[in-house]
Formats: sequence, structure tokens, C-alpha cells
Amino acid sequence: MKSRQGTDTPISGAVDTVKTKVIEHPFSFRASTDAELNKLIVAAVNHMGGTGEGAEDAYQQSLRALRGRAEDAVKVVVAEYAALPEDQYLDRWSLVELLSALRHRSALDALGRIVASEIPPERSKDPHSFSTAGEEVMIRTTAVDALGRLRAAGVAEAGRLLLRGAEHSNFSVRRASVQAIMESGSPDEQKALRELLDRRQETRLLEIKRRDVREVPQAIGGRFVVNQDRKNEAPPPELKGRDPI
Amino acid sequence: MASCTYTVPDKNASGDNFYGGVICNQVYIDYFWNTYGFSGNKAYWDDGWGWDDCCNTNKALARAFNACYLLTYSASDYSNDSWSSPILNWGRRLVRENIDDLRCKCGDGSAIATSFGGGLVEVYLGFFYSKDVPGRAETLIHESRHQDGKPHNANFPAGSVFGAGKSGADSTWDYEGAWMYGALYLWWFFAAGARTTTALRNRARQRGNLVIDNAFATHPGFNI
Repeated sequence: MKSRQGTDTPISGAVDTVKTKVIEHPFSFRASTDAELNKLIVAAVNHMGGTGEGAEDAYQQSLRALRGRAEDAVKVVVAEYAALPEDQYLDRWSLVELLSALRHRSALDALGRIVASEIPPERSKDPHSFSTAGEEVMIRTTAVDALGRLRAAGVAEAGRLLLRGAEHSNFSVRRASVQAIMESGSPDEQKALRELLDRRQETRLLEIKRRDVREVPQAIGGRFVVNQDRKNEAPPPELKGRDPI
Repeated sequence: MASCTYTVPDKNASGDNFYGGVICNQVYIDYFWNTYGFSGNKAYWDDGWGWDDCCNTNKALARAFNACYLLTYSASDYSNDSWSSPILNWGRRLVRENIDDLRCKCGDGSAIATSFGGGLVEVYLGFFYSKDVPGRAETLIHESRHQDGKPHNANFPAGSVFGAGKSGADSTWDYEGAWMYGALYLWWFFAAGARTTTALRNRARQRGNLVIDNAFATHPGFNI
């Protein structure tokens, strides 16, 4: 059984130091002089990361404020996506997620370009730990989901773009595109997809199904745990009436 | 000793923006510090890492605390961390019972975390600034599973973004390795995570699917 460290005494070994520089937000808005719209976009991205009992309501409220100007917002978001440096993966993802949440057909071409774009070479020296290609994949599979939402809403062109996604070089992009077509595509699109997968000898993609987490084999906790002395009751998740420090 | 720098957007979608207001309370700080392996390691978490500024989510310690908050409170019935409940409930217990020495370091710019056994886990700059909050929680779950005595046992499949053909994968979902634990935690967070947004839950879904598609020698045949 492991022992807990008891004190915060200085140590003799070398420790690392870090300096952080803070910027207001990651966007440049070079292509938009509409300060009010820019502010709404920043607010929506910020509320994506909210927490607490009111987090979802606040996020949805920020989306409602943007939906009234969805077409203008899509233009700015697409321009910002193009302007962001490649290595700002989370910020790039947040803009694609925003396009998905806005569900506006004017985002169609941009989403199609994002899905179809090739994944840059791996930049990480330790992809097991952090894969830049993995971050790129998540951006594209989020764009696939956005196209699936548009297809489900009746935007036929989204089906054509998803069929292109089913031929992407990355497995996850193909898998996500196949699932989106099978869930929201027309019978003709599904027929075209089956023919495509037959030609590519990839019909196995049709066998990978989205599941509810309750239906898949679960981890059985506690089988290998070695330390049993750490049970402390957590305080409640919201400390109403308590002063912060 | 290494020195590193990082540019932090004050507010973005990582999940740190609003967690800051929640964790900024001595009750939580004491609980997280004493429960999740920080205790005894002030020397590591000082010198810019946030020990003296632990409510500031631009700094590493507050970002680690945010992951601790998510681990602790994402189940609606968070006080039930019985092993017979979903991993969303007992993930926090897995972490607190397996990591008792959590240290921060600069790292090489790529690595997120390393597990050394004996309860020691190092987390690097990317843990705080490249990963969103659910992703940080997933990392702690993943490393806890290694501490728990379960190594990887296979090579990554062809096309894997984690390094096709290299060691570090789990053979199957049923092996119940670190990748399965991390993906399952993200899956539950997507399906039933409380006190969060649909956007962060979608982010967890995308990351969980990335793991499912790339980290098992044999694909499980299902996804999120």
C-alpha cells in the first residue's frame, strides 16, 4: 500500500519553472469590423467551456444571440478558422463546433472543405501522448457531424459532401461519414455509399455502429486497485453562500 | 531544471474559463490538494505553476484543479463512487486511490503525462494547455489505470494517429486497459455528464471516438 506524502517541505531535486503570457482571445477578426458580431462569437466560444448548473443555458443563450445573424456569423467564423495558426487545435475545433451548432446552410462549402482537407503530418514527437494528427481528425469528424445535421435538416448538398468524406484517407473521417450517411442520407445516397464501399472493399465500415454507452461492455472498477485508504467525502459541487478566496 | 513559456488565450473553449469561478474556494482547493496527489509537492507546483495563484485558470495548478472538479462532480449522483456504478462515478476514486504523487514539469513540448509507478505521475505543459478539461480528466484516468497494474499489450493498428505499428495500444476493448478506461470515461461524460455544456460533451465524444478508432489493435466494432 502506498503512503501519502505528508508535508510540503522543499525538495533537493531540480524543479521546472514556467511563465505564461495571456492574450484576450485567440481570434484576429481581421476580416470583420463588426465589433458586436465579433463579441457574440467570442461569447459563444467562451460559453462552450462553461460549467455549473447554468452552463448549458448560458451556452444556448449565446447561440440564440448568434442565430439571429447566422449568415453573417458563418462568414466571420469561416474567415477566423482560416486565419488561425495550424497548432491552435482547440480553437480551430471550437469554430467548427460553432458552425455545427448554428446549423446554417451557408456553412456547407466551408464544412465540405474542412472534411475533404488532408491531415497534415504528425508534429508531435510523442503521438501516443499527444497526437496533432488526432487533433486534426477531431476537427474533421466534428465537421462531418455538422454536415450530417444539415443533411438531416434536408440540405441535399450535404449528402454529396458526406459521400466525398467516405473516401477520405483517414479511417475516422471515413467511419464518421459512413455513419452520417446511413443515419441521415437519402436511399439513393445510401445506395451510392454501399457501391462505393464495395469498390473500396471497405464494407466493414457499415458494421461499426454507434451505441449507447449503457449497451457496451463496462469497466469493472476496483479489481486491481492497491490503495484503499483515500476515501474522503467531497464537498458539494456548488458552495452557495460561501465566500471565495 | 527547465524553464518553459506558454501563451494562453484568457478565455476559450477549453473548459477553463468558467471552472475558475467555481474552484476558487478554499474548501475545494483543500479537497483537491489533499485527495489527488498534490500534497507534498508544493515545490513542483510553485515557480509559475500556480501554487500561489491557484484560482487563476491561466496557470497550470488551477487547470489541474479543473480536471479534478470534473472528475469529482460530473456524475449527477457524484457522492456514489461505488465500483458497481458507471466509471463516471468511480473515475475519481480510481484516480485518488492510484495517484498520490502528481508533479508538473515542462516536458518536451509533446508529451502530456508519464506514469512511473508507485503512485508517481508527471504531467507536462501539454496537459494544461493542449488538452481541454475532459481530456485532462481522461489523462488522469488513463495514467491511473497504469498505476493500477495494467500496461499496454499491443501495437497500434495500421493508420493509427498514435503511431501505427508501434507499441502502446491495447489489444481489445475487453482487455480493459488504460485506453478503454479513458474512452469509456469520455463516453459516459458525453452521455450523462452533469454541470457542463453540449459543446464540451461533444468534444468528449470526438476524443472518445478518436481513442476507439486508433488505440485498439482490434477495433471494438462500436463507437460513440
